[in-house]
Amino acid sequence: MLAQLSRVLRGNRELSTFLFCVALSTLCLALPPGAKGFVSSVLSGVLLGPVERVTAGFVQRGRVWEENATLRRIAVDLMTERSALVGYRHENQRLRELVGFLVAFPEEELAEMIPARVTGMPGGRVVESMRIDRGNSHGLKPGMPIVVPDGLVGKIASVLDDHSLVELLTSASSGVSVVTERGRVRGVVKPTFGEASRRGNWEIDYVQTRSDVREGDLVVTSGLGGVYPAGITVGRVVKAIEGPLTMAIEIDLAVVFSTVEQVFVLTGKAGVPADLDELRQRLLLELENERAALEGRP
Amino acid sequence: MKAGWFIGLAVAAVILDSAVAPEIELLGARPDFLVLIVAYAGLVLGARPATIVGFILGLIVDAEQPEYLGLHALSLSVIGFASAAAWEHLVRGSLFVQISVLFGAALAHDLMYYVVYYRNHLDIFARFFVRFGFIGAAYTAAFTVLIFVLARARLWRAIVGGTRV
Repeated sequence: MLAQLSRVLRGNRELSTFLFCVALSTLCLALPPGAKGFVSSVLSGVLLGPVERVTAGFVQRGRVWEENATLRRIAVDLMTERSALVGYRHENQRLRELVGFLVAFPEEELAEMIPARVTGMPGGRVVESMRIDRGNSHGLKPGMPIVVPDGLVGKIASVLDDHSLVELLTSASSGVSVVTERGRVRGVVKPTFGEASRRGNWEIDYVQTRSDVREGDLVVTSGLGGVYPAGITVGRVVKAIEGPLTMAIEIDLAVVFSTVEQVFVLTGKAGVPADLDELRQRLLLELENERAALEGRP
Repeated sequence: MKAGWFIGLAVAAVILDSAVAPEIELLGARPDFLVLIVAYAGLVLGARPATIVGFILGLIVDAEQPEYLGLHALSLSVIGFASAAAWEHLVRGSLFVQISVLFGAALAHDLMYYVVYYRNHLDIFARFFVRFGFIGAAYTAAFTVLIFVLARARLWRAIVGGTRV
């Protein structure tokens, strides 16, 4: 029988190969665990080793891609979170300043303040106006002064239902009656003309020569004109030059308008906007009277 | 197509089976690239080379699982031999036939392998086979279309025409 089987297998190489493979596989399956381990380790080293190295490369690369994608997502999340935190920190700082500013006011004056957020500001080197998120519906009227902890910002130029347009001190048509805190010298703050105005410089007009004005003097609102209450910081004198009739006084405004985000509207002093020409006429008249008094004229 | 090609493809199949198949899992089932290569070895090269290819590939995979050393070698040898025998009686150049043979080969391989693997837990085997066996076989057979299209593009007469090298 064995001879017959041998003849069949010799005649059919495909079948013999198949039976050989099956027999070898079955032998492997029947091996004791220790022998299986040994054969496996030999096979791993000889056959699987090179393949495993390639496979590990693929798997590792896949993991690195996956990890990279996850890290990118985390980085984007962290950047977003960081931006929000920086915003909160600035807001926190601003609110602390505002609280400090508000504490300085008596209670009755606080009731006349409406906080507002700046919602719009045109670009450019010199900012002349800004938009705030309070309007007619909040009781705002044209002419109401706008302040921040640093000082005077300007006044409301026009009011709509839900927002208002603020005319800043930097506006070419702006004019604020001021007084120096130390020497009590009065004048009108307005932008300088020509090249200086483009650089954002301001001066005090109508100040008689030999007045007691020095560099570093604090300039506050005088209360004249009926628009701005007295005592609000406007700026500081940076240059005071004697002229033949009046002094050339240059000031540095206290408020950096391009960085203002939150303002207060002073509703208590609301009224008709000051007539700049009228104010100018009155100051000129005062100046003339003082000069006449100095010269001994009646 | 020479036998050398098949050695290269066999190595590629092992890599695909261990590195790519887990990544393209579908409903818990994976395509069996080893069955694919062994069954096509049966079509292109004949029974003897297909059996040897199946045996060697099986041994390579078995080396990872010493407890069942020889099980993949046995099942893939059977698939190589049986598929080659089946091709003899079928219209080998037909895509439909190739899909059917591959589906049957994948199913038969799983059946052989997991019957032994779960020999003491045949209830689990039945659940496992119903749950994953058919989907896996279908998934493996689906790759036949890809191979057929590639073969047609490269004019591999052995696959498209069903002629052996």
